Amino acid sequence: MSMINNQLYWEDVTEGDKVPSVEFPLSIYRLVVEAGANRDFNSIHHNSEYARMTGAPEMYANNVFLQGMWEKTVREFIGLEGKFKSLKGFRIKTFNTAGDTVVTKGTVKKKWQENGENLIEMEVWSENSKGVSVGPGSVVAVLPSKEQLEKTTSK
Amino acid sequence: MQGDWKKEWQPMVDSVGQDFSNKGEEVVWGADEVEKGGIRRFLEPLEFDCALHYDEEVAQKHGYNDIIAPYSSILTWSIPPLWEPGKTVFTSEEKHSQPTESPLTGLKIDKAPSTTGYIVTDIEFEYFQPIVVGDRICKVGNVLLSCLPKETKIGKGAFMTWESKFLNQKDDLIAIVRMQTYSYNPYPVGNQEETGQKEAAN
Repeated sequence: MSMINNQLYWEDVTEGDKVPSVEFPLSIYRLVVEAGANRDFNSIHHNSEYARMTGAPEMYANNVFLQGMWEKTVREFIGLEGKFKSLKGFRIKTFNTAGDTVVTKGTVKKKWQENGENLIEMEVWSENSKGVSVGPGSVVAVLPSKEQLEKTTSK
Repeated sequence: MQGDWKKEWQPMVDSVGQDFSNKGEEVVWGADEVEKGGIRRFLEPLEFDCALHYDEEVAQKHGYNDIIAPYSSILTWSIPPLWEPGKTVFTSEEKHSQPTESPLTGLKIDKAPSTTGYIVTDIEFEYFQPIVVGDRICKVGNVLLSCLPKETKIGKGAFMTWESKFLNQKDDLIAIVRMQTYSYNPYPVGNQEETGQKEAAN
């Protein structure tokens, strides 16, 4: 069974709500698995010596991996009925290196309805041992509403 | 000659607004059709336990025709193959040698100065519909939105922002991406301070 069992409804969201954090410990093993999975074989992401030659302190997580961390974090919050609308401000500020842990965090900044959609905007960011490493950026998602659910089920 | 290297970037600065993919006519297809095994492998390092990405029944219950791929995998599905039949890309035993060509080194643009370092610093996506198993994804267009030559703590180069569209095999719009990259020539090892990717520029 999927770990994501709870569905978030638009009516249940309050601006300021926290998006639960997720930790991603970064071992070399994990970065190598990641390179194979997302096909970013740039050596800076799986070869320490090579990464240092390009100015980085160590091999580091690639942008698709870091995007995936945000997606997992938001998906666990919004549930399976939620849909992603946009990702903005995804700015990689510091290297997220092997030997460190990335922790994703977020809060609900805004909720509104537009063109029949129930929307929330979350401010999301990643932190590592040096501070904020990605973002803060925003993820906008569409949520189901209890009102719509009631209309559907009463038909 | 501190400022001379910046002049080499002027042709790119002057090209802001240009579509470097031959006015959108050039379509770059990802190597493979989206399939369950590839999605499963994408979930693995993330430990991303979302049934929409591995359970067909759950995906259909939520309104999709089949398993959908994570939104964050769009770039992965649009990467062309590293190797194709008839080609040779691994030509050196030097342990750090790179393939003779790679789909990840960014656009080769005659107007841009030669650089050896390349990182992605900023990404913005607008999503229009999810990728479904069986889709084939292509990238269309490469419009240069900005070019800012800048010396950073890791080297000298330029920040460039590019806009592209991702479509599936039915020409459905999957997403629009705006991506900022930093193409640079690194300083020799030892001259660098430990620094961040984007922060290196600030």
